[in-house]
This record gives sequence, structure tokens and C-alpha cells, in this order.
Amino acid sequence: MDTTFQILVSGLTLGAMYAISTVSLSLIWGALNVLNMAQGALLTFGGYVAYVAFSGMGLGVPLSIIFSVAAGGLLGLFMYVAVVRQMLNREGFEVNVIIATVGVGTVLEAMLQKFFGAYPIRQPLTVEGGFFVGSTHVPFNSVIIVFGSAILMVLLAMLMARTRMGRAMRAVSQSRDAARLMGVPVNLVYAQVFALAGGLSAASGIMLSTITTLAPTMGYDPMLKAFIICVVAGLGNVMGALYAAFMLGLFEAFIQFAFGVRYAFAGMLLVVIIVLVWKPNGLFGRTKVNRL
Amino acid sequence: MTAPLLEIRNVEAGYGGQKVLRDVSLEVPAGGLVTLIGPNGHGKTTLMHAISGLVRLTSGEIRLEGQAISGRKAHQIVEKGVVQIPQGDILFTDMSVQDNLMMGAYPKAAYANAGESLETVYKLLPRLEERRGQIASTLSGGERRMLSIGRGLMANGKLLLIDEPSLGLAPLVIDQIYEVIADLKARGTTILLVEENASRVIGVADKVYLLDDGRIVWQGSADEMEENADILETYLGG
Repeated sequence: MDTTFQILVSGLTLGAMYAISTVSLSLIWGALNVLNMAQGALLTFGGYVAYVAFSGMGLGVPLSIIFSVAAGGLLGLFMYVAVVRQMLNREGFEVNVIIATVGVGTVLEAMLQKFFGAYPIRQPLTVEGGFFVGSTHVPFNSVIIVFGSAILMVLLAMLMARTRMGRAMRAVSQSRDAARLMGVPVNLVYAQVFALAGGLSAASGIMLSTITTLAPTMGYDPMLKAFIICVVAGLGNVMGALYAAFMLGLFEAFIQFAFGVRYAFAGMLLVVIIVLVWKPNGLFGRTKVNRL
Repeated sequence: MTAPLLEIRNVEAGYGGQKVLRDVSLEVPAGGLVTLIGPNGHGKTTLMHAISGLVRLTSGEIRLEGQAISGRKAHQIVEKGVVQIPQGDILFTDMSVQDNLMMGAYPKAAYANAGESLETVYKLLPRLEERRGQIASTLSGGERRMLSIGRGLMANGKLLLIDEPSLGLAPLVIDQIYEVIADLKARGTTILLVEENASRVIGVADKVYLLDDGRIVWQGSADEMEENADILETYLGG
């Protein structure tokens, strides 16, 4: 019983963190059919900005978080305007964009390392303490991550379902040409998607850095896991990515407890293989119903 | 006579180095229904795309109410009131019927009146109201075409470009679609209609242009078209 609860707490925390970075990856995939390989660096960037805002600039906790998310959004926007947009007009731009985002990620990581050094820094926003349920220790930090992530996801779902901007994002991801014919300025929507993805990555990075520590390479592992979750869910399916994030978070926590931490990543990859053999479009992937 | 709503003057356009439209001129008067007929693969859809700003002109000019719209971006042309109902529908297949319609009201001015437009569209196409929550990809072919038309109406445009509304539909459903088009015409909507099947447009069109190999080779009223059946036969194979 206690073990189950322990796995649940740990799995939900992981899932909540993955959910945000996965959704951010999935938004960009949905809009442009492109993987954002700078995702990990954006995440790391968010963690460091929050650290600087809190420790260096003396902003309070809420302001530091907002500052970091806004900075992540601006960086996402900059990445779109300065790099991605320049490549869109050519045939087969997808591969170019993927490789360019690898470059952006590498530069960003190198800059963070130059400024902050390669040694891990403790994230000062981490909330200490916790409480016990039975004999299970539940850190406040985990509770905050789960609720914070839930609130963000609800806001995002409302944005996508109810607003003109969200609807346009979905429309562009389903048919760029039709969206254009409806009067949607596609470039603006892409810019919005990148800004939103940047902001979400930063939020995810803050959460991650409170669990581990700040380090220039801290984004790699969650980026890989976000890829895995995206593939399992079906690329570009934002809601599916959300479910898959929590499922894989719980699964990872289970493997860690049952077999040991080192088997967690291998276990996740095994799940991907099984899912893709069973359902090549992913668990929630679009199975095209074409009726004429 | 007042200036036509849409004026296409000596337009040339194409893809890459391939010229598709050669010296095309055409006029659509306000409130009129003008039809563009011609065999497949001879530039009808390219002309529609050129008007909507999806294909760049290599020469010539397109004017709406006397103002040049050629060279503007696709979304700006929609904002000016030129709305296309594209060939093959191109719906947002994973969105509900109502969300598809709401996308039709994307331009700011249209968005402000989206509620009213929804009511109007549902009144005109009651089938859509019954299916408002259904995902577009699960609709039948006829319902999809209705949705595509309804979505085009949501922008309250000045000019509707309708590209092959009968494509791929059963004759009975085509009749329904043309009833809707006749309805729109009766309300005073200005329409430029592309159709491959000349006999379909005889009852509704004010004026007919025949496009062959990227050129306008014949123009006249629908009655004149009937009288000149031999010309049409040459181009359309009867």
C-alpha cells in the first residue's frame, strides 16, 4: 500500500513535468510537422532564468516564475523569427528546421555553460519540507508541481478549445491551405505557437530544476522523454500527449521502484517499441477515416 | 453602369516556369453570378487561387471595387471580403462542425458577428445544426460540401468564389447544392462559380466564361451558351 502510494506520488510528479514539455513539443510538431530539437535547451534556459530572477534580481517567487516563462516565450518567438521563418518557403523545409533547431539548442546550451559554469547549482525556488501520508513522505514541491501543471494544462485546453487564437492553431495544424483561405495569417500563428511552446518549456524547466539541480545539460533527459511520449501518444496530438505523459511518468516511477532507476529509461523505450508495433500511429494517433 | 465588384485584367500566372493562365480578363458585377467553365486541368482552379492570393501573378491585375488586391497576402484578401470555398472542401477534419464554421468567421470583422452568422448558416443549412458537435471527418460527402459552403458564408464576404461545388457528389446531392447556390444568389450574394459541367449552370448563371488552355475562349450569357452548343461541344466534348 505504502509502496503504491509512493509510486503514485513520484509518478504523478514526473508525469506533470513531462506533460508540459511534451505538450510544448507536440504544439510545434502539430503546427509545422517539425521536431524542435532546441526543446531541452529552452527548458534549461527557463530554469536558469528563474534562478537569476530570484537570486540575482531579487524578484519574489511568483514574479520569478512569470519572468522566466515570459523570457522562454520571447526566446521561442525569437527562434521562430530569426531561424525557422527563414526556411519555411522552401520545399522540404522540415529537415532543415530540425537541424537548425539542433544548432539553436547547442548555442544556447554553450552560452548557459559560459555564464553559469558546468557545475550544478541548486534551484533556490525549490520548496522545502513536506508531509507524511502513512509512512510515505510527500514533498510540498511535488504537490506544487502537480497542481501547477494541472492549472497550466486546463488553461491551455481552454485556450485551444474556446479562443480564436487556439482554434486557429488547431486549424493550421490540420490544413495550412484551408486556414489561409479562411483569412488566418499563418506566419502569425506559427509565431504564437513558438512563443507558447517556449513559455511552456520554461515552466517545465523550472519544475525540473526544483527536483534535480540546475545544470547546462539538464534538459536532455526530459527532452528525450518528451519525444518518447509524443511518439507513444501519436505525434501532434496535444491531448493524447497529456495522457501519455502521466501514463509514462507513472510507469517510470514503477520501474524505478520495482527494478531500479537504471532500468527506467530502457523500460520506457520498451514501451515505445511495443506501442508502435501494436499501433503504428501511436495510442491516440489519428487513424484517418477517409470517406468520399 | 457601375464598376464591377471584381475585375480581372490581363492576368498571367503559373507554377514555377510553367505558365497556366494567359491574358485572362473577366468581370463579376455586384450581385451577379458569373460562371467559369472549361475542361479539367486548364487553369480554373489556378485562377481561383490567383484571386485568393495563393498563386502569384506574373502580370496583370485583379481589382476589388476598383482597388488592386493582387499582390496582397491571402489573409488580407479574405479580410477585404473575397472568400473562397475551395475544391474538395479542405475541411478541418478533426474539428467539430461548429468549430469549422467558427474558423470561417476568423477575420476580426466577421468574428464580431459570428453568433449571427452561425444562426443564418444554420437556417440555410439545417443539416449542419443537427450535426454541430460532430467531427468533420465523420460527415458524408454531401454534408462535407454543405459544411464547406457554410464555412465560406461565415465571413460575410462581398464575393464568394466557389470551386467545383458538384465535384464527386451524387446527382441528387448536386441538386441540393445548386438549390443552396440559387438561394444565395436570390439573397444578392455575388458569386464566381467554377464548374466543369456546363449544363449545371444554365439555370443559375448570369454570365458564362469558357476557359481553355489558360485563355478565355468564349463568353456570353447562359442563353447564348445554349444557342452556341457547337462551340461548347468543341471544348467540352458535349
